Amino acid sequence: MESRSSSERRLRAFLGGLLLACALPLASGCVTVRPEDKEFLAEPAMTFGSGGDARAQEEHVLSNREGSFGAGSASGGGCGCN
Amino acid sequence: MQLKPLSAFLLALAAPMVAQAQVSVATTNTVYRESGGGLETTSVTPSLRIKGVIQDRVTLRAGWEADVVSGASVAVVDAPGGDVDAITSATEWSDFRNTATAGFGIKSEFATLEGSYTYGTESDYRSHSFSLTASAELFERNTTFSLSYGRGFDSVCNLSQPRAQEAVDRQRLPGSEGCFEDDADDREELDLALHTFQGGWTQAWAPVFVTQLVLTAQVLNGYQGNPYRAVWLGRTAAQENHPENRTRYAAGLGMRFWVSPLAGAFQVFGRLYRDTWDVKSITAEAAWEQRLLEGFTMRARVRYYNQTGAAFYSDDYVRFPRGQYFTGDRELSPMSSWLVGGHVAYDVPPGEDGGVGPFAGFVILAKFDWVKYDFRDFRYGTRSVPNDRAMVATLGMEASF
Repeated sequence: MESRSSSERRLRAFLGGLLLACALPLASGCVTVRPEDKEFLAEPAMTFGSGGDARAQEEHVLSNREGSFGAGSASGGGCGCN
Repeated sequence: MQLKPLSAFLLALAAPMVAQAQVSVATTNTVYRESGGGLETTSVTPSLRIKGVIQDRVTLRAGWEADVVSGASVAVVDAPGGDVDAITSATEWSDFRNTATAGFGIKSEFATLEGSYTYGTESDYRSHSFSLTASAELFERNTTFSLSYGRGFDSVCNLSQPRAQEAVDRQRLPGSEGCFEDDADDREELDLALHTFQGGWTQAWAPVFVTQLVLTAQVLNGYQGNPYRAVWLGRTAAQENHPENRTRYAAGLGMRFWVSPLAGAFQVFGRLYRDTWDVKSITAEAAWEQRLLEGFTMRARVRYYNQTGAAFYSDDYVRFPRGQYFTGDRELSPMSSWLVGGHVAYDVPPGEDGGVGPFAGFVILAKFDWVKYDFRDFRYGTRSVPNDRAMVATLGMEASF
């Protein structure tokens, strides 16, 4: 019985986490940075994936020397400068 | 003959669009050098990319990249206490990889769709890979979601030997001669299928604060060993034997914070990784990027990486075997590394005519990193890994017209 309640707790925690993971991005809609306030967000230093080819070559070199892979960066900075 | 009017019509339609295209040409060249104690690896990676953006909506790009790799490595990974000095008997090798890429992008006001195809070839390896990425900007462009899928079809050259044969009896591939040639009876091609899924969420939380969460999953099925490498098993050395299936998961979180009084950004990044070979890793990176003069930026960073070994990794398969699989790959052993480095970039400010000499824009970047590895549980015979220091240097230039 104890192991069953432990599994149920884990399942509830997992479902709770999943709900939070889905809700958080939607809640981000409440956050508003107005276009006129995006001067600094448009800086290359604030833009993910701005390293371009140099960053890609570095990730290629490092991933060949490590056992891990992925989750490096995606394009986009949310800066509204496109 | 009837195609002529149609071709002329299409050309007439496309000509104004092409004339309005913004074209950029970029070259990036990276040198990686790892050395120490007689073992070394040098790789030179030149690349060239051409990109055209038509009416700010359609992007077409093509590129070429190569890897010229040479070095000296240990072909038979020995156990601790072995009599043979594996390092002085290291063999020299070299390889030349070429890849060609073509891709497109279509952009609407709030969404982008990108696709690409890459073909890679080297003396002992062939690969075809496709990728498709869709991204959307929401909530007044403060939020960006992206989803991508990549599919790879790889072929690895190996010594032709019965797959039903016991793994401990398989021999390593002595060289790449005869690979992918129809009349080479003693060579075979083994497939590797790759599926890569990635999701990204980038969020601007404040005028000076932005985060990015990236989740990646990759499923690999097929031959994943190094055909040239063998592992000493006591009485004999056999070609390393890795499982054919591997699923990898990674989650990365990046944060960037703009410090207005200093005109620079503090950047942190953390990544957790695990896979079904039981490799678990953590990556942590911190950087400072400083805007100096107009168009001139400098970045300094430090990165730490630590991983556990694969479930089937052992540095002595004679005394501590790990079931049916065995590997001589040091990247599957417990290891850690420190990296320090940085870059300087100069985006040449436009002159009075709005251009930079003959170009509409010109950017140059120089980058240097130094890496120190620690292979705490990996030995060549009785010796620890000697080539545990590396440097990565990159020079890149991009001109737009």
